[in-house]
Amino acid sequence: MGKARKPVQIIILVLIVLLGGYAIGTSAFGGDGKPEEGSRAPSFELLGLDGKTHKLDEYKGKPIVLNFWGSWCAPCVKEMPALEAQWEKWKARGVVVVGINVGEDQMTVQNFVNGTGVNFPILMDPEREAVRSYGISPLPTTFFINAKGKIDTIHIGQLDLSTLDAQIGKLVNR
Amino acid sequence: MSGRTPLFVNTKCECGHQNPAGTVLCEACGKPLLDNTDSGDPLEMRYDGMARRSQKANPGIVDRVWNFFSSVKIAIYLIVLTLLGSTLGTIFPQESTFLNIDPSTYYKQRYGTAGEIYYRLGLSHTYESWWFITLLVMIGASLVICSLDRVLPLYKALHRQNIRKHRRFLTRQKVVLVRKIAEDSDAWIAGAVQPLKKQGYRVMTDGSALLAEKHRFSRWGPYIIHIGLIIFLLAVLARGLPGLNMDQHLVFPQGDIIHIPDTSYYLENEKFTVEFYKDEEMPKEFRGKKVLPKLYETKAVLYECTADCGDPSKEPKLTKVASHAIQVNDPLSYKGMKAYQFDYDLTPVLRSVTPKLVNSATGESYGSFKLEMKNPERRFAAGPYTLELKEKYMEFGLNEEGQPISKSPYPNAPAFLFLIKGPNLPADGEQYFYFPKQNDKAEFQQDAINDKLGGAGRFLELEVGDMSGVDFSESTSYLNLRVDRAMPFVWTGAGIVMLGLVLGFYWQHRRIWLTVDGGELTLGAHTNKNWFGLRREVKAFLEKMNISVDEKSLENGGGQA
Amino acid sequence: MSLLDFSNDAFIAAFFLYSGAFMLFTIAILGRRWSGRSPKEHTARWGQIAFIASAVGLLCHLAYFFTRWAGGGHIPVSNMYEFMTFLSMMVMVAFTVIFSIYRKILLGLFSVPVSIIVMAYAAVFPQEVQPLIPALRSVYLNIHVTLAAFGESFFAVGFAAGLMYLLRTVNFNSSSKNDKRQQRGVEFTLFTIIIIIGFLVSVFAFRAAGYETVFTRSNVTVDNPGQNDSKIEKVSYRMPPIVAPYHSKIESFQSILGIKKPLTEAPSWMKGVNAGRKFNTVIWSLLTGAVIYGALRLIARKPLGRALQPVLDGIDEGDLDEITYRAIAIGFPIFTLGALIFAMIWAQVAWGRFWGWDPKEVWALVTWLFYSAYLHLRLARGWQGRKSAWLAVLGFLVVMFTLVGVNLVIAGLHSYAGTD
Repeated sequence: MGKARKPVQIIILVLIVLLGGYAIGTSAFGGDGKPEEGSRAPSFELLGLDGKTHKLDEYKGKPIVLNFWGSWCAPCVKEMPALEAQWEKWKARGVVVVGINVGEDQMTVQNFVNGTGVNFPILMDPEREAVRSYGISPLPTTFFINAKGKIDTIHIGQLDLSTLDAQIGKLVNR
Repeated sequence: MSGRTPLFVNTKCECGHQNPAGTVLCEACGKPLLDNTDSGDPLEMRYDGMARRSQKANPGIVDRVWNFFSSVKIAIYLIVLTLLGSTLGTIFPQESTFLNIDPSTYYKQRYGTAGEIYYRLGLSHTYESWWFITLLVMIGASLVICSLDRVLPLYKALHRQNIRKHRRFLTRQKVVLVRKIAEDSDAWIAGAVQPLKKQGYRVMTDGSALLAEKHRFSRWGPYIIHIGLIIFLLAVLARGLPGLNMDQHLVFPQGDIIHIPDTSYYLENEKFTVEFYKDEEMPKEFRGKKVLPKLYETKAVLYECTADCGDPSKEPKLTKVASHAIQVNDPLSYKGMKAYQFDYDLTPVLRSVTPKLVNSATGESYGSFKLEMKNPERRFAAGPYTLELKEKYMEFGLNEEGQPISKSPYPNAPAFLFLIKGPNLPADGEQYFYFPKQNDKAEFQQDAINDKLGGAGRFLELEVGDMSGVDFSESTSYLNLRVDRAMPFVWTGAGIVMLGLVLGFYWQHRRIWLTVDGGELTLGAHTNKNWFGLRREVKAFLEKMNISVDEKSLENGGGQA
Repeated sequence: MSLLDFSNDAFIAAFFLYSGAFMLFTIAILGRRWSGRSPKEHTARWGQIAFIASAVGLLCHLAYFFTRWAGGGHIPVSNMYEFMTFLSMMVMVAFTVIFSIYRKILLGLFSVPVSIIVMAYAAVFPQEVQPLIPALRSVYLNIHVTLAAFGESFFAVGFAAGLMYLLRTVNFNSSSKNDKRQQRGVEFTLFTIIIIIGFLVSVFAFRAAGYETVFTRSNVTVDNPGQNDSKIEKVSYRMPPIVAPYHSKIESFQSILGIKKPLTEAPSWMKGVNAGRKFNTVIWSLLTGAVIYGALRLIARKPLGRALQPVLDGIDEGDLDEITYRAIAIGFPIFTLGALIFAMIWAQVAWGRFWGWDPKEVWALVTWLFYSAYLHLRLARGWQGRKSAWLAVLGFLVVMFTLVGVNLVIAGLHSYAGTD
């Protein structure tokens, strides 16, 4: 190496710092791959009750309330009226409420929606693919996603009207 | 070591060669430069006495960092720290061994205070912790820098070796012989060439001096090991890059085609089998006492989606691309994706029933229809009757208000509400509750419910004749789907490590120097390992030259092998 | 099943031949003084006889191995009994390899007993041929386990030679601080070996006497919050209970020396019902070991290390140092290939990941790192002689913990190996 000694040393040390930093960063601080508050909302492509395919991208630029639910889950059923009310209240300001049903078939979802009078868009995830990419374990889980597509808050468990209102307000005013 | 080595010495040797700072033995003639005493102690022959790159006057910050990682002492500290750190992770099971726990409570519950402390210290994920990864990164740095710092000087030293060495270099080797000989010096040296060649040495002569050398490649062994380890570590690091790695545990009920998320593949579990050893296959002591599994096997078919993929509003078009009987130790493998047998569940899952509509009074059957648990048809015809499916419950139950609900999305206790229209029924139809499972029928009192719904004149029943009218998924197989595109590099690294180990440990670099001056033969010999073998070889050589010696007497410096 | 019967006979024959060889090695070394002939000739002659005996023993051992393979239908390395017998066989192979290079009779005196102890330890475990569970049905069982054991057996020979080096060089007459420490270290190593022998003696003595006492304990586990599962656990002691499991009841008690109940009970932090039994075994091993050690001290009337030193008189310490190093240097690549690389290949095939930080994997890595440190210290830092010998002794302790301790104390994915 002779005269090139110093540059070679520096290049090697820089490489070590970069690769090492990457290794430590991803392994120790990378989390377990589940989306967290502040991270980008994973995309999805799901069939809606309207018979059309919906993607996360189509709501780009709008604050989104993404609610994962199942008809068998009692707290999910109980929070539906609150979600519906907030949807009615905020939709004029561009807020989108989307319900993602977990693992049930069209008939069950349709019957449930007809029975409860929900009007916000409902998507179905029979293969639980969005469930996996969002790392959902207990139901209901609600993601508040801001207009930039970043997850603002994750709420696990039943929502009441006032929390929901406050959360959406926060989302809109960002 | 470097600590004891004075950095400023006159490095010009008496043979006229100018050596770099830090040189221990003259690069040209091998004369010991640091101590001029007439000590007979064996020389320090590491790296052939060359100055290591790191040993330099006036170190700057880069040099200091470089020197730190270049030190074998530091490397050993790193190895020992990694060793101790690894053992900590084996005290309690790591979080990663569980699929579904909440570590913040699990360790306390299971192991008490010790578990709590273990968790708080972050030892429940030792091998992903910042300090452990940092240790591995530092070992990687040490591997690179240590090797670079030593391999180049060593290469230079071995590449241009002087045949004639300083006498003191020879007499201070660990294998030494000094003898008077009667013969002419050049002739004796010339005569020594053939025997040494027979022993496998490459021999070079320079008048009355000779250098015989063999298996020099063995010296590269350690560096090859280190290169292999670096490749291995980089490959492990690369596994984390997006798209190179996939790891999913998926559920495959027998007979269902399941999409593998994030891929265009679908996999069908055609049949899952579990076999146990029969009594006669077991030793006497086990018979009737133990059950040992013999085989877990999933007959799997892999499909690739060719059109309408990813669009949930359309049925994907699938083409079969592979099929394999997956067993433990024998995964399905297709284009880098592998499916491993992971677990199973033998609980049958109801898929569909084919009930008949019968007249309970006359026994007349109006025909049958297939009722799927998932996405059933909404309208059926049986003879003159039409049945409209109004509600469906997968696990029937009642909520707090006494209304029928489904307790889960799994068909554990399915129930269906039909509206039947046709002859002898009210114009707006008659409601009918149907429980396909016999025990649910009794438990939820299907007859009583229907009597209430249909009144006294009710005469229609849905019945399943025999098991042919019931379709079960007999069992469920859990497969682990994996993609690991960095594996070839992992294996390459491991292979290179092995190559280096074999070269470095099963061969030894041996050198024999001979000079004959004024009727006196001076022999010095050096090897990097296995002095015993070298002495034996030197003795055999000397015997051919009619010089008899005792193996042990060749040894210089008293037993330091 | 006659093949398996023959196999068992061959195993017993091997055991006695090794024991015989050990005695012959002892005669070869100790007898050089009371023999009329020249000591050198005596050692050479008896050493040769001893080596032949050990070689015949190894042939029997190989016969055991292959007939059991043929009779059982799979390579006999699938449970603790089979693995330990295989390891002891490999120690003899490694000894034979090293012996044929260096021709040191004394090596037999120290290596053969290592093999005998491992063999006796094997006999503690159930011996029937067990059919393979699906996880073990793989060609990598043949490669991974055998190569790992082969590598480890060279470490065992390195241990024997390292211990010999220490016995040869430690100055037992000096009372300087460092020498005292060395003396205590050697004595402690010997004491540890005697405790293992104590364990074996107590197991076989009580087994021969047919001793058994059974305890039961109801164990309440809180797996799901609010739901307590209570189940009765039963544990059978094959050694008289000095320590009963924590909070247990006696189901049946075989009294010994008129004592009708356990002396004491395990502390509460020993949760598992087997923890009490293992603790009891440890106590018995310590007791028996201490008795044997005490008896030996009484006979020798001095520390055992000092008593053994004259045996090693005249042997070149440089050779011992080199044998230690050479054995480890030969074993290291084999160990790497068997215990790490083929382990990774198999793990990749069976579990889909080549490395999962399972305790056994971690300890194989720890062993590897330990011997890497040994090699670096020796090659680059000039640790030779005594320091190097201590590392060789300590290294084998790490090996044994990986093989036995992990299964006894930690368990994990490799827990099918079955332990006592």
